Amino acid sequence: MRTTIAMAGLLALMPLGLPPYAMTLLTEALIMGLFAMSLDLMVGYARLISFGHAAAYGLGAYTCGNILLHTEIPLPFAVLLSGVFSGFVSIGVAWVCTQATGVSFSMLTLAFGQLLYAVAFKWTDVTGASDGLAGIPRRPGPFGTTFFAGKLGFYYLTMACLFGGFLFARALVRSPFGAVLRGIRENEAKTLSLGYNTRLYKIAVVAASYMLGGMAGALYAPFAGFANTELLFWLLSGQALIMTIVGGTGTLVGPILGAAFFLLVQQQLSIYTDSWALFFGIIFIGFVLFAPEGIFGLARRRRPAESH
Amino acid sequence: MALLQLQGLTKRYGGIVAVNDVTMSVEPGEVRAVIGPNGAGKTSLFHLITGVVKPTLGEILFDGHRVTAMPAFGRCQLGMSRTFQLTALFPEMSARENTRLAAQARDKKRWLPLGGRAVFAEASRRGDAALERLGLTHVAERPAGLLSHGDQRLLEVAMALAQQPRLLLMDEPTQGLSVEETAQAVEVLGNLFAGGGLTVLLVEHDMEVVFRLATKMTVLHRGTVIADGEPEDVKADPAVQDAYLGGYT
Repeated sequence: MRTTIAMAGLLALMPLGLPPYAMTLLTEALIMGLFAMSLDLMVGYARLISFGHAAAYGLGAYTCGNILLHTEIPLPFAVLLSGVFSGFVSIGVAWVCTQATGVSFSMLTLAFGQLLYAVAFKWTDVTGASDGLAGIPRRPGPFGTTFFAGKLGFYYLTMACLFGGFLFARALVRSPFGAVLRGIRENEAKTLSLGYNTRLYKIAVVAASYMLGGMAGALYAPFAGFANTELLFWLLSGQALIMTIVGGTGTLVGPILGAAFFLLVQQQLSIYTDSWALFFGIIFIGFVLFAPEGIFGLARRRRPAESH
Repeated sequence: MALLQLQGLTKRYGGIVAVNDVTMSVEPGEVRAVIGPNGAGKTSLFHLITGVVKPTLGEILFDGHRVTAMPAFGRCQLGMSRTFQLTALFPEMSARENTRLAAQARDKKRWLPLGGRAVFAEASRRGDAALERLGLTHVAERPAGLLSHGDQRLLEVAMALAQQPRLLLMDEPTQGLSVEETAQAVEVLGNLFAGGGLTVLLVEHDMEVVFRLATKMTVLHRGTVIADGEPEDVKADPAVQDAYLGGYT
């Protein structure tokens, strides 16, 4: 907890020292961090490897975009609503996908993600098809404040979502519910035979994951001012999985670091080469081979005394 | 009234009849062993009772409830706890966490996603008590995957006990154990059953083990029940000797 507060304090002070350009990058990193962390709930805690997590991101982004374009709902509420909506939709997705396990589950999540991608291309009224939604505003409020509409305020809103999401996810995995998830991860047949309806637990964790992932997407839409089909594309699903694995699965904090690391490397490498993804691929392979516990695991290995 | 009742239970796999018209019951307080030579249908019968497979014909009643079509986790919620033939544990969790998770399944508030300190406390209390009953307290903090084979088997029994089952189902409790480990396990289980209060149905092929532990026996041969009763009577039954015991006596 002390570490969490220290980290929050550090991030809260960032705007004092960083130039506006870096602040934009940091805001994006926090959004991506929330997204990768939400995926970790599924991948790291229940071994539900999703290849379609962009579905959560895109759902959140399009929902939030529409809310902000067509209603007067203040930005923070729009973000929360979009997250809840995304989580709600995922119950149906999870109900279908959890019919299968292992690789088949992954393939179904991928298929669902691509299905949404295809729908977004056709459903012009809602998604703007290939043009996407443009000019998404940051509605003022609540209580008439325009703080969150500004760059600084938006940064703090993103930070609040990330820390709120982190505390929620951490409470979830440390609860009796989380203990059952760990059981499913280690031996699902045994968990079932102990009397747990494992499928319901899996559906519940997918919903929680989609809710947080949807919030991340919902933040991105007003951050960038637009939402397009790329936010639903499988490439983003793959990148989220890479951030989660490089950061360290089953740690919640790791994937946040992984997302920041990914964006930073992308930022730096793309100055020199267009094929930055090639080099990141090598970094990824290196992590999988030599540090499967990820960045967070490496940090913990250095200082085993300090946990949590 | 019988705690568990099987009525005309039949399981066919294509043309093969694995379990043929089995009618038997388990009374509260008894330790019943289902025995039979290899291929007699013991494992198939166990799968039918635990809900792993559904019967072709017949009914299963547990405490008056018809559970024939109920999924495995539902039967467990009614009070049937089982152990596996090949030990099934959570290898990376400590022994304590294993029994805690087992006990937690019995808590009405196991669903609460947040907090749940009280749920953990109650489950830990029951789990620790089960560990103590099986003499595993000294390895409670060790990861289950690092325990000796014998201790792993006992831990699985402890997990079932932590659920305070009304019927304990055991699939070959000494399978894969060395001679010494088997003797040790039989002693621990014998003491446990002698303590009373447990109703047990176990499937076992090791006759030594069966005669040490069981108070009642059912003999299967080619999917059919050929004898049922006290161990001594069953042992003396000519049909059983013919089919199975052969040179045992």
